[in-house]
Formats: sequence, C-alpha cells, structure tokens
Amino acid sequence: MLSKSGAKAFFLGGTFLCATAFVLLTLDTLAQFPERSNEENLTEEVIAGWKIWERSNCMGCHTLMGEGAYYAPELTRVIERRGTPWIREFLKDPQKFFPGRRKMIKYDFFDPAVDPEADENLDHILAFFAWIQEVDTNGFPPKPDIVTQQAAAPMPGAASAVDAWAGAPDYFKAVCTGCHAVAGQGGNVGPALDGVATRYERDYLVNWIADPQAVKPGTTMPALGLDPETLEQIVSYLETLK
Amino acid sequence: MKFKSQSISWAFFAAALGLFALQLVYGFIMGFARVGMDGLHEWIPFNVARAVHTNLLVVWLITGFMGAAYWIIPDEADRELWSPKLAWIQFWSLMAVGVTAVIGYHFQWWEGRKFLEIPRALDWLVVANVLTFLFNILMTIWKGRHMTTTASVLFFGLLTAALLYLPGMITFESAVLDSYFRWWVVHLWVEGVWELILGAVLSYLLIKMTGIDREIIEKWLYVIVGLTFLSGILGTGHHYYYTGAPRYWLIVGGVFSALEPLAFLGMAIYAIAMARKGGRDHPNKVAMRWTLGCAVMSFIGAGFLGFAHTLPQVNMWTHGTLVTAMHGHMAFWGAYAMMVLAIIAYAMPQMTGRVRYRGWVAETSFWTTNIGMAGMTGAFAVMGIAQVYLERKSGMDFLDVQEAIEVHSWGLILAASLFAVGALLFIRNFLSYGRPNTEELAA
Repeated sequence: MLSKSGAKAFFLGGTFLCATAFVLLTLDTLAQFPERSNEENLTEEVIAGWKIWERSNCMGCHTLMGEGAYYAPELTRVIERRGTPWIREFLKDPQKFFPGRRKMIKYDFFDPAVDPEADENLDHILAFFAWIQEVDTNGFPPKPDIVTQQAAAPMPGAASAVDAWAGAPDYFKAVCTGCHAVAGQGGNVGPALDGVATRYERDYLVNWIADPQAVKPGTTMPALGLDPETLEQIVSYLETLK
Repeated sequence: MKFKSQSISWAFFAAALGLFALQLVYGFIMGFARVGMDGLHEWIPFNVARAVHTNLLVVWLITGFMGAAYWIIPDEADRELWSPKLAWIQFWSLMAVGVTAVIGYHFQWWEGRKFLEIPRALDWLVVANVLTFLFNILMTIWKGRHMTTTASVLFFGLLTAALLYLPGMITFESAVLDSYFRWWVVHLWVEGVWELILGAVLSYLLIKMTGIDREIIEKWLYVIVGLTFLSGILGTGHHYYYTGAPRYWLIVGGVFSALEPLAFLGMAIYAIAMARKGGRDHPNKVAMRWTLGCAVMSFIGAGFLGFAHTLPQVNMWTHGTLVTAMHGHMAFWGAYAMMVLAIIAYAMPQMTGRVRYRGWVAETSFWTTNIGMAGMTGAFAVMGIAQVYLERKSGMDFLDVQEAIEVHSWGLILAASLFAVGALLFIRNFLSYGRPNTEELAA
C-alpha cells in the first residue's frame, strides 16, 4: 500500500522530471523560432503593426493563430483571404462594408480623413498580417475539407468566380466584389452590377464612384479615393457589363 | 472560528462575490451583443466587455483564494495570522489595483493579451501586493505550531502562482514569442499550480467535514497534485500546436494533455470516496454539496470537456472557435469558482456563529447555478460545433455562420439568466450571515 512519504516522492519526482523536460523543450523551441517565424522579416513596420494590434486589443474580438475571442473572424491568413486593397478600405470604416450587421470599432487612426498618419498605420498592420501569415503554424488554419469534395463534383451551369469576373481589374476583384456581385458571385451589400452599363452612362459612373455622396447624399457606398488610372479601369470594365 | 484574525477572510469573500456579480453583467453585455443587441457598442465594445469579464473572473477567484488562505492557514498552523494589519493593507491595495485596472480597460488602458490585459505599471503593484500576502502567510506558517501538508501545498500553490506571473511581464518584439510565454502564465496557472490550491482547499474541507484521518486525505492529496504536474506541465504543449512552435508539441501536448483528466478524475473519486467513508454526518450539508460538486464539475468541465478538444487532430478544427468557450466556462466554474463558493459556504457559519445553510435559498443556489452553467455549456457546444462544420470544414463566411447560429445565443442568455439567479441567491445567503462575530472569542 502506498505510504504518505511514497506519495510525496511521487509528487516531487514527477514534478521535477516534467519541469526539466519542459524547460529543455522550451530551449529547443526558442532555438527554432527564428527560422519558423522568419525572424529576418520581423521589420520595424511589422513590430509597429503588432503594437497597434496589441494596443487596440484586437484579440478581444478576433483570433490570431486561433488565440483570442470568438466574436470576429480568425485573421492569421486574412491577406490571403481578402487581399490588401480590401482590408485597407475596410479598416477605414468597417461598418460601411457590413451595414446593419455585427460591428467592428471604427479606429480613427486608420481613417485618412481624421488622422494624417492613417496610411502609415494601415501599412503597419498589413505588414504585421503579412508576416504572421508566413509563420509556420503546422497547417493552421486548415483548408475546408468538405467543400472541396462538393466543388470537385461538376455543378451544371455554375460559373466559378474567376469566370464571372473575367476581364475585371484586380482592384475590382479585391474590393468592389466585397459588396457587389457579378454573375452571381460577390457580396450582397450593394446591388448586383450585371447590366449596369445599360442603366448608367459612363460619366455618371465616373462621378458616382469618385464621390458617391455628391451624387446621392446618405448613400452607404463609400468614397474609395481611387487614383484616376484605377477609376478608369473600373469604369471601362463596368461598361462591358451589358 | 478558532482565531480572531480569520475573520479577515470575510472581506475577501464579500469582495470576491461582488466582483463575481459584476462579471456576470459583462457576460450579459456580450451575450446580447451576439444577438445583435449591441447598443453599448460605442461605450463598451465587445473587446472591452470581454477583457473586463475575464479579468474580473481572475481577480475574484484570486481574491477568493486569498480569503481561503487567510481562513485555512491560521487554522492549520494553529495560531493567529502573523499580521492582521498587513492583511488589511493588502486587501485594500488589491481592491484599489483591481478596480483601477477594470476602469482603465474602459479607456483602452490595457495590453491586448488575453487574460493578461493588466497594463505593465499595474503588474508591478500586483506583484508587490501578492508578495505582501505571501509573506504574511509564510510568517504565520513559520511561527505556527504545526506545518501540515495541506498548508504547505496551499502555500506552494500560491507561491508558484506568484512566480509564474513573471514570464507574462517579459517584453518581446515577436508576437510568436509573446504568445509562447503568455501560456506559461495562463496554462501553468489554471492547469498547474492553481490545481494545488484547489487540491489543498478540497483536502482541508474534507478533513473538516468527513472526520477522516488527515494522514489518509493528505496522502491522496500528494497523489493528485503529483498527477496534476505529471500531466499539466508538458500539457502546456496543447497551446503550442498552431502558434509557430515546433511540430513535436503536437505529440508532447497531445499525450500529456490527454492525461490531464486523470488528475481531475482522481480528485472527484477521492472527494466522493472520502465523503462516503467519513463517519461524521456534518450538519452543513450545503458546504459538503459545494465541495463534492466542485470535485465532480471540475472533472466534467476541465477534465472531460478539455479532453474533448485537446487532441491535435480535433483541435486543428476547433482551435479558435466557440468550442473553446464551451470548455472554458464549465472548467473555470467547476474547478475554481465552485471551490471558492465551497470554502465560503463552509466558513460563514463558523465565522458569524449563525446557521443559514438550511432552507431553500442555499439549496436552490447550488442547483440553479449548476443547471444554468450546464445549459450555457450546452449552448456554447452547439454554437461551437456548428461553427466548426460550417466555417472551418465547409468554408462558409464567418459572419454568415455567426448569423446562422445566432438563435443559440438566446439559449445561452436564457441559461445564463438561470445561472445569475442562482448566483444572486448565493450572495443573498452570504449577506444573511451578516458580519463576523468575534465576541465569543474575545470573551
């Protein structure tokens, strides 16, 4: 029968062994971190982005590498999923992209209309996301494995997103489709854009995209502040949607 | 009550229950935000409510642990507390730091690191405060007539909890490293040294209420805390699967955290066996119920539900979903909240000389909190599992999934309301005991 001193020896011995093993594994882990987390890419910008992440307690709603709260999306591979142009526009005023739905805090330091350093802050947080997405996370987050089987089976008549947006400029694919659909692919916040060229003239589209509030005060369509070249590309593309 | 200075626990217990009640308020703010009723978004956005909710939990549990220590240690050491005055200073400074931290969160004075949001300046005050507490406890044991195993395990648990707070105060430049050492605090607390505190308090309560020989109970205490560390230390690996650490943590974390339920199972079996074997039929049945309830619910919440998603193959999909909230709620409730409530239920009649453990209030409080918590756990489970299949396995958009599972948040709110009724009944019962009565001792 186990004696009290035997039990005590079990406690002390087991604890000592496990603690030693834990410390040794930690030393090895620390030696491997630089390579696994691409420490050479841990620039000032990335660190500044992480400080924004931390200062704003982003993990109080989001998860990153699966850690945080469960109120907002997992962001480890957000650049891969959404692309930088969309994230940039989204962060300036999150609610305008999802009107009436779950809210994200609008941070003034991401809004160029309020903070002259907003663009820099956006660069930083995006640099942080770009860095974290390259960390070797042993495959997290996993790719959906049920949808792949469905997608493998041919669906008659279904156009893939790539076909639906054929000929669209990159900015359109990355940002506009967050709210608007073309050929059934895209968001449903704003109206679908199929046949938009039959409803509006070129000049109207240019004015509308450049400054939506001037055309229709109170609209939820955001002013995107596009450079003339991108605006031109988008309008030219919209003109093909007849 | 054997010693006058034990009555200082009353202040700690009262404060713990007050903070507990406040924690529930912030829980409701989040619950309602989940169903779209987020009218407080401008003033208390979700990340503020979340930081306050979890930090109040930590603060009220630690306040409760300290109250438990101020009650148990003089009794075990068989002498008055070394310095009641120092204990009072420690109490008020702890409250000042805690309240400042919670108010600060509303103004974004925080560090965005889950569970360790307290800003660095206040961290130092926490450390100073805890050192004061430990010094007082240590001096009491040192000068005491006995040095029991229960008291030493309790002290060792409190001391290591204080030491393990330090890795959370190191400044890193890499988010990956920061996360690695954050778990040294969070995991090694709740799945390590806090379990020593839990084991010691349970052992004290069982010794007092079952009348079984101390030697037998303390022998099993060693076995249980031995199992805790054997599984829990390397079990930290289950936090390192997907956060940039090497691949071998999948195996180390998987194997050892799969053993973690053993410690909790051991604790449950031990508590039930001792209660059965005990000849003495203790009149404070409610305290006994909280004690056994704690042992059983910690096995279900921390052991069983933790195991349910700890293996890497499962965790790959559930990591970072509401499945974690399911496990977290019942684990903290079963293991630590119920333990604090158990020691309060046991100590109050002795501290005040009044009998308030009979009747429906005390009884109903036990059942409604536990049924409510089971319901909340169920709601989180349904939401979490649905989220795993819709979002993670079939690639639906996050927000669409959240809206699809929103109806279960109503279930969560309903169950939480039942839980809150039970918690308020406990507080009402606590208040009905009134202030500590030290007259008999003085006479």
